[in-house]
Amino acid sequence: MGGYILKRLVSAIPVLLGITIIVFAIMALIPGDPATAILGSFATPENVEKLNRDLGLDRPAVERYFIWLGNMLTGDFGTSFSLNRPVIDEVLERFNATLVLAGTAFVLCSIFGILAGVVSAARQYGFADKAITFVVLLGISIPSFFLGMMMILFFAVNLRWFPVSGMWPIFGDRTLPVLIDHLTMPALALAVVATGVVARLSRSAMLEVLRQDFIRTARAKGVPERGVVWRHALRAAMVSIIPVLGIQAGFVLSGAVYIEIVFQWPGVGRMLVDAILTRDILLVQGGVVFVAACYVLFNIVVDVAQSLLDPRIKT
Amino acid sequence: MRLFLSLLARNRLALAGGIVLSFVVLLALVTPLLPLADPDVTNTADRFKPPFSEGALLGTDHLGRDLLSRLLWGTRLSLAVGFAAAIIAATVGAAIGIIAGYYGGRTDNVIMRGVDMLMAFPYILLALAIVAALGPGLMNALIAVAAVNVPFFARNIRGITVGIAHKEFVDAARLAGLSDTRIILTEILPNVVPVIVIAMSTTVGWMILETAGLSFLGLGSQPPQADLGSMLGEARAALITNPHTSIVPGVMILIIVMSINLLGDGIRDALDPRLRSGALSRPMAATLVKRATPAPEPREEGVLTLTDLETQFHVGKRIYRAVGGVSLHVAPGECLGVIGESGSGKSVTALSIMGLVASPPGVVTGGSARFGETELIGARYETLRSLRGDRVAYIFQDPLATLHPLYKIGDQLIEAIRVHHSVSRSEARARALKLLEDVRIPNAESRLENYPHEMSGGMRQRVGIAMALANDPDVIIADEPTTALDVTVQAQILSLLNELRQSRGLAVIFITHDFGVVAQLCDRVAVMYAGRIVETGPTGAVLERPAHPYTKRLIACVPELGGGRRELHAIPGLPPAVDALPPGCAFAPRCDKAAEACRQGNIDLAGTGDRAVRCLDPEAPLTEAAE
Repeated sequence: MGGYILKRLVSAIPVLLGITIIVFAIMALIPGDPATAILGSFATPENVEKLNRDLGLDRPAVERYFIWLGNMLTGDFGTSFSLNRPVIDEVLERFNATLVLAGTAFVLCSIFGILAGVVSAARQYGFADKAITFVVLLGISIPSFFLGMMMILFFAVNLRWFPVSGMWPIFGDRTLPVLIDHLTMPALALAVVATGVVARLSRSAMLEVLRQDFIRTARAKGVPERGVVWRHALRAAMVSIIPVLGIQAGFVLSGAVYIEIVFQWPGVGRMLVDAILTRDILLVQGGVVFVAACYVLFNIVVDVAQSLLDPRIKT
Repeated sequence: MRLFLSLLARNRLALAGGIVLSFVVLLALVTPLLPLADPDVTNTADRFKPPFSEGALLGTDHLGRDLLSRLLWGTRLSLAVGFAAAIIAATVGAAIGIIAGYYGGRTDNVIMRGVDMLMAFPYILLALAIVAALGPGLMNALIAVAAVNVPFFARNIRGITVGIAHKEFVDAARLAGLSDTRIILTEILPNVVPVIVIAMSTTVGWMILETAGLSFLGLGSQPPQADLGSMLGEARAALITNPHTSIVPGVMILIIVMSINLLGDGIRDALDPRLRSGALSRPMAATLVKRATPAPEPREEGVLTLTDLETQFHVGKRIYRAVGGVSLHVAPGECLGVIGESGSGKSVTALSIMGLVASPPGVVTGGSARFGETELIGARYETLRSLRGDRVAYIFQDPLATLHPLYKIGDQLIEAIRVHHSVSRSEARARALKLLEDVRIPNAESRLENYPHEMSGGMRQRVGIAMALANDPDVIIADEPTTALDVTVQAQILSLLNELRQSRGLAVIFITHDFGVVAQLCDRVAVMYAGRIVETGPTGAVLERPAHPYTKRLIACVPELGGGRRELHAIPGLPPAVDALPPGCAFAPRCDKAAEACRQGNIDLAGTGDRAVRCLDPEAPLTEAAE
C-alpha cells in the first residue's frame, strides 16, 4: 500500500509541473506590456519599470518560468500588490474558508447523491425514481448562484432561519454552532448541482451492476432484497462511483466561486474574482496554482481509496 | 432518422423540452422585431417598478430599464454566446481528437498528455486564469468557456476515432492512395459527427450556465450590454428589496438550461441501443408472474415438480416464448438431466423455478412449480426468498461472473449460511471451512481469505458448489456448472457432485448441452427444443434408442473415444427464433423426416410410463428401459 501511494505521488509530479506551465503560458497571453496592463495606462514609467523588475519581466520567458517555479517551491508566491501582503499567506487563509465550505458540500453531495442514485435504481420507473430524476434534473439545470440568491430570499430574509451571508458574525464568538448556522445555506446551495450529477451516475452504475450474474447469485442464495441492493450491488457500483467523486470535487470547488460571491464567504474563489478585477496577477497565479495542486493531490487520495475498495487493483 | 425522431417524440419530457427550447429560441430570434422598449435607456424616475405595472410587463430594474426588453435581449445574447462556445469547443476539440486518434503514436501521446493536464484543473480555475489574462469581457468569457470544454470533446472524439481508424474501409481508402486529409474529411468525419452532436447536446446547457456564471461574476458582458448572467449580477444588490429583478433573469436561465437538458437526455436515450432493447432496466427481486389460469395440479410425484411451466420475454411489442409448457419432476436422490442446444429454454426453465429470470423482460405466464406442497410460481417474495439457497440451491455456469468480485469467498459462504440461520459469525465460519473441505479444496483455511479472482476456474466452481450446499438443501439446480471448465477439472467436479448427491440424498436437476455429461451423471433425461420437452426417459433407454429425430441427431454430435472412425454429424440449420415459432413441430424445418402433418397443429408429448416423445414418426418404438 505504501508503495502504491508513493507511486501515485511520483506520477503526480509531471501533472503538477504541467499545471504550472499552463498557468504560466496563459499569463504570458496578457496582451502588450504586462506591467502597463496591470498598472493601467496612467502608470508612470518608473512604476512600470519597477513592476517589470519585481515580476522579473525583463528576463527571457523560460528563465522567468524557472525562477517562478523555484520561488514557489520554497513557498514564495510573490507579493500581492492590491493587498500588500505575501500571496501565500492570503491564499492559505482564504483556502481554509473554501475548504470548510467545499468540503461540507462535497460530503453532502457524495452521501445524498449516492443514496438518491441507489434508491432511484432500486425503484426504477417507480414513483421514487421519477421524483428523484426530476429533482436531479432541476438541480443540474439551476444556476447555483441563482439558487443561492433564492435561498437567501426565502430562508434568511423571509423565514429568518439563517444569517444572510458571511462566515462569521462581525461581533461575537467564533464557535462551531455559529459556523454551522452560517455554513448551512451556502453548503446546501453548493451541494445541489453536484448531488444531481452524483445521483445520475450512481443510478446508471447501479443499473449496470444489478444486471450482473453475481447479483443473481446473491438472490439465489436467498439474500433479502435490501442486502442485494445495499451490500452486493452498491459495493460493486462504488468502484465506478468513486472516480467520479474525484472529478466531482473539481466541480464543487468551481461552484464554490459563485457561492462565495453570493454568500460573501471569505474563500479563495472570491479572492480570485477580486484579484482579476483589480488585475492582481500574482495573486491570481498563486491562487490558481495552489488550488489546482490541492485538487491533484485530492485525486490521489481518491485513487488510494479506490484501490482499498477494489482488491483487483494491483497495489 | 425517422426511427430516431419517433423515439424522441415518444419521450414526452424530451418533447416538452424541445418545444420550450424552440419557443425561447424563436423569441430570441424575433426580439429585434418586437415593439419593445430600448433595453439600455435608463429612467431613474421609474426605478424598480413591480411586474405587471403600466408600460412594463415585468417591471423595471434599478436604473428604470424595462425588464421584459432586457430579458429578451439578454436571452438572445446568452443563447448566442452559449451556442457559440459549444460550437467552438466542439470544433476545436473534435479537430484535436481526430488528429490524435487518427495519427496515433507520438502525436497522440503528446496531445493527450496535454489534454490530461488541462483536465487536471477544476474547470473554473482555468476559465478564471484565461479571463485574468485576457481581461473581463463577453468575448473573452466566451473564449474561456470554450477553451475549458475543449479537452472533454478532444478526449471523447479521440476514443471514437481510434476505433474507426482501424476499420477496413479506412484501410481500403488508404490503399486506394487517398491523402490523410481526404480520409479524415470523407471517411472519419462523417462517422464522428453524430458523436459530436450528442456530446454538444449534453454540454451546451452547461456552457450557457458557465458563461452566465462568468457574467454574473462581472467577468463577462460589461454594462450597459447585459446577458442573463450579468442581469442577475446587477440585480443581486437589490435582491432583498426588489427580488423580481433577480427572479426574472434567474428563472429564464433555469428554463433554458432545463429544456436543453431534457432534450439532450432524450437525444441520448433515443440513440442508445441498450436502452431501446431494455438492457438497462434492472431485474426485479423475483420474476414477474402473469398467469391467466390458476396453477394446474401437479400430475407427477417428486420433491420438485414443474407442470406446464411457461416463461416469456416481453421486449417492446415482441414476445419470445422461451419456455412453452414444460413439465418435469425430480425425486430425492435422483438426478434429472435437462439437455438442449443454447437457446432451447433449459436455463430459463431452471431459473423460472425460484423466480430468478431477469424481469423485465422475463414473465412467467403460466404453469406451476411445486416444492413439496409449496407452490413457487406466484408465491410471496418472502416465501421464495426463504427457500432460495436454503431448500433449493443453484450452481451457475461461470463462477468468475457469478461470485461477487469484491468479497472474500469466506464472507460469501458465511453470508449464505447467515441469511437463513441465525448463527454466530464464528460458527458460520467453521461451517464454511467444513464446506470447503467437503468440496475438497486444499488449504481450505487460507482459501477463506481469497477473493474469487485469486482462484482457478475449477476452485471457483468448487466454491460455487460449496455455496449451494451451505444449508443442506433438498434440491440443487445446476445450470451448466462444468461448461466453462476444462475436461479434467470437469470430470472431478462431476464425480464430486455425484458423490454429494448420493451421500446427502439430494435431488439434482442438471442442465447441460453435453450428452456425455448426462450419460455419466443422470438417472433420467429430458431433451428440450425451442422451449418444450421433445423427449424424456431413463438415460440408458434414451441414449440407446432415441425416439425423437432431434435427440438422435444430438447424440450423434458427441464424439466417442475409441469408438473408431465415426462421422460426426452437425445438425444442419439453427434452432428457431422463439418469437416466431412455426405451428406444429418446431424441429420440422431441420428434420429430414418432416412430413406435411408435422407442420400442422400441436403435437403432444405421448408415451408410456417413463418414456415419452413429441413426434408423429418416432425413430424407435417406445419401450420401458431394459432392466
